[in-house]
Amino acid sequence: MNMDWTPEELQAIVDEHALVLFMKGTPDQAQCGFSNRAAQVLQALGEPFAAVNILTDPRAIPSVCTWSDFPTMPQVFVHGELIGGSDIALEMLNDGSLREMFDAGRQG
Amino acid sequence: MVSTEWLEAEVLKAVPDADVEVIDLHRSGDHFHVRITSPSFEGMRPLQRQKQVLNHMKQFIPHPVHAIDLKCMTPEQAAVTGDTAFDPHAGGQGVHIRRINRQKEE
Repeated sequence: MNMDWTPEELQAIVDEHALVLFMKGTPDQAQCGFSNRAAQVLQALGEPFAAVNILTDPRAIPSVCTWSDFPTMPQVFVHGELIGGSDIALEMLNDGSLREMFDAGRQG
Repeated sequence: MVSTEWLEAEVLKAVPDADVEVIDLHRSGDHFHVRITSPSFEGMRPLQRQKQVLNHMKQFIPHPVHAIDLKCMTPEQAAVTGDTAFDPHAGGQGVHIRRINRQKEE
């Protein structure tokens, strides 16, 4: 992916995809246990998601964290809204609110 | 490298009325699971709760704190939620939650 990690580019990604995961590595080859857990949560949800590997460019982590105002990776976006990292994603998978939020946005 | 006591004290600066439990996942002083229980979380979404903590903690991320896994609960939620600690380097596949069975006080 050829990116400059500008706020406009990042916003375009989460506007374009209903589910976006900014992560270390890829869903198949996660480079961090938290990123792996977040990818597993989205796979468990069973909906297609866009995964952005922020280890491909040293500018990525500071750019994404500044843009989203969230200090850690991974970061999960549902319909353009940051829900949090892997801990919140898992909590929302288990209590059903991730499914609710995804379905609500899809209908709207 | 920081201590669990230091991290607990820092979390209490962000959520003064909280019950805080810090687990040093690798005894390496940089990967932590933090369980935070506070009545002040009532009515807040998960991200809002974490941001209250992270807004204070982000000055310490990624150094000296490399990874911090937060569980922010109301007392009502904590009462029905088993102890959950996640080890990001435990390996394997799938969603991992290592539940620590509490000793029942019966």
